[in-house]
Amino acid sequence: MIRVQDLSVSFRSPVLDGVNLHAPPASILALVGPGASGKSVLLKSVAGLLRPDRGDVFVDGVSLADKDEPGLAEVRKGIGMLFQNYALFDYLTVGENIAFPLRRLFDLPEEEVQARVSERLARVSLPGFEHRIPRSLSGGQKKRVGIARATVARAPILLYDDPTAGLDPVTSQKIYDLIKGEQREQRGCVVMISSDVAGVLTIADRVAMLHRGKLVFEGSADEAKTSVDPLVRQFIHGLVEGPL
Amino acid sequence: MTEASATLVDSGPSALGRLMAPVSAGVNDIAGLFRLLGRTLTLISQGKREKGALLEQMYIIGNRSLVFMCITMGFIGAIITFQSAVQSQRLLPDLTMLGATFIKLLVRDMAASLGAMPLATRVGAGIAAEIGSMVVTDQVDALRMCAADPVDYLVVPRFIAATIMGTAVLIIAGAVAILSGMVIANGVFDVNFHTYLNFSMVTLGDVGLGVTKMVAFCAAIAIISAQRGLSTFGGSEGVGTATTRAVVGSSFAIIVLNFFISGLGYFFVPS
Amino acid sequence: MSGSRLLALPARVGASLLSLADQIGGMTLLLSQALKRLVPPRVDRYELVRNLHRMGVQSVPIVMATAAFTGAIMVIQAAPLVERFNAREFVGWGASFVTFREVGPLLIALMFNGRVGANNAAELGTMVVTEQVDGLRALAIDPIGYLVMPRIIAMVVMIFMLTILGDGVALIGSIITGDLLLDVDPRTFLASAIPMLGPWDVIAGLIKSALFGLMIAVTSCYFGLATRGGAPGVGRSVNASVVAAATGIFVADYLSTFVLG
Repeated sequence: MIRVQDLSVSFRSPVLDGVNLHAPPASILALVGPGASGKSVLLKSVAGLLRPDRGDVFVDGVSLADKDEPGLAEVRKGIGMLFQNYALFDYLTVGENIAFPLRRLFDLPEEEVQARVSERLARVSLPGFEHRIPRSLSGGQKKRVGIARATVARAPILLYDDPTAGLDPVTSQKIYDLIKGEQREQRGCVVMISSDVAGVLTIADRVAMLHRGKLVFEGSADEAKTSVDPLVRQFIHGLVEGPL
Repeated sequence: MTEASATLVDSGPSALGRLMAPVSAGVNDIAGLFRLLGRTLTLISQGKREKGALLEQMYIIGNRSLVFMCITMGFIGAIITFQSAVQSQRLLPDLTMLGATFIKLLVRDMAASLGAMPLATRVGAGIAAEIGSMVVTDQVDALRMCAADPVDYLVVPRFIAATIMGTAVLIIAGAVAILSGMVIANGVFDVNFHTYLNFSMVTLGDVGLGVTKMVAFCAAIAIISAQRGLSTFGGSEGVGTATTRAVVGSSFAIIVLNFFISGLGYFFVPS
Repeated sequence: MSGSRLLALPARVGASLLSLADQIGGMTLLLSQALKRLVPPRVDRYELVRNLHRMGVQSVPIVMATAAFTGAIMVIQAAPLVERFNAREFVGWGASFVTFREVGPLLIALMFNGRVGANNAAELGTMVVTEQVDGLRALAIDPIGYLVMPRIIAMVVMIFMLTILGDGVALIGSIITGDLLLDVDPRTFLASAIPMLGPWDVIAGLIKSALFGLMIAVTSCYFGLATRGGAPGVGRSVNASVVAAATGIFVADYLSTFVLG
């Protein structure tokens, strides 16, 4: 569903170096790695928000490299994204935030839009929050609104950038359950960055690990847990001693 | 990356190149600003933005700056009148033409040039900080994910609002400056209100030139501040830097534009 | 509906006035705390030199460019009047007095505010948001002596020197424009300017500059240190600081104009 081919991105210094990755449809891929290993940059490249220096990204077989903004907009109809800082539009209400992609990408009648917004809010356990403003919400609530906005268009591809960062363990588990429940229902392709390795492994089907911009592991969740590669072993199990 | 990084001129790593680097950086900067201006103007007719956004921006910009500008220009009017009176009394003791000259200069130039500087501070910093905050919290990327052009959604309403409301505010503030000058001239130098409010020296050319300057300055403030906001990077410090660059860039652009428009005015618009 | 909105207006004005009083009070407090650190001197010397260098380097190019254009513009503006009253000999005086006494210090102060003032507020704001200021206190380092005083001193000294430089560059700009545009010989220009302008005209302008510098310094430090709320908070502080300092500059300009005569 998503294929990353020899992707290299650098800002003032190289951030990603020749990454090859494959995210099959109807599965959850966990993208993990130490800080500053390039995970967010990889995710943004998959969304077409960053242009690579080398390599390409194929979304459902379509290459992103030579697309301009209108071309990318077509591709993005099939992608929903949750950003690390929630990226809720603070000049819109919660309801308007969730409705935004629907109104922009599709031509749906207003009642349908409202119905979907309410349904999403109920699904993320925030019923009746349509008229609240983002500033009045807690971190966990903002994340849930972000998930509602990312999933409202029923996109087949979902990109989550660290959905449980800064949340307490109970709320984190609820978010993981929510993401997994959605994925099982919609049979979507999910790529999820997480710094909470133990937590994300409870719902991931596949795992990819980045270290200093290079892909050092790609395989199933079970393979990740039993890997003998010292880097992977240390990170997955949270050990103090090792190459990291 | 985003479109902000396309360069027009690249001076290269040689010694001459390094010396010319600030110049080529400046040229690229100006080219980028004109590109943004072009896109903004095209999108004014073609764009698909939210309907309420323009009115909201006009309210925000007008509301935010009117009181500040009236106070500011009130002070400026008083100060300049006072200084002019003190100095011209060294030449001739007769202050009958004080008001007339002051009003002419105000309409032709000072309402725009002296008023645009504090306006750049108020409006420009606001635009850059707003857009910059949205960049660092990923809201601009989120817009792009929903096929919404950030220039259309964020820059166009602010551009139109700043140009229209900014000009209106400058005109009103200019009037306040005249009034405060009148009060000072009367209070300190015993110049009759009626004598001061002498519009005889003001020509249509003066009004045209003054309004042209106001529109040009406000448009410059809007585009430069929006561009600095959109090119923010680096978290909280980045927003501060963007605001700084917006105010300084706008102020400097006003001075340079004033130089050119005044020059043209000197040759083509008789006074 | 309109009745309650009518009542809301005085309430909003009242609230703004209270908040204004709060801010002015806060800044005065900051200033007095800073001044206490002058006697005996408890100012971090390294920070002082670093700030002097940085603020100067940041501002010299733009102030010089501003001054050159301003000098030119003054002549362009004075030109029609000069020609109408046939007062060619007075171009030097006309352009210069406005520059040295008023427009020079004012524009330089506004540029300095936008450049150094905003940058200062952003720096201090970021330090607050990333808890560095708390970190200093935890190390028993006095934030006012270490952060605030060096910046205040550096800003006042810098703006003073920039005004001297700016006055010179503006004069050159005026002379060149006068020569090219009005055919006023540079010697005539200076000959008219020098007798009519006393040294007091230049000094008054410099005193104003120093005063504006103090205002910019205290305002930017105050708003920077009072930042709350992450990245958007820093943007808000910079915004508030730049606007407050600009207002303060105009008020100070007004008051000092009458005092300096």
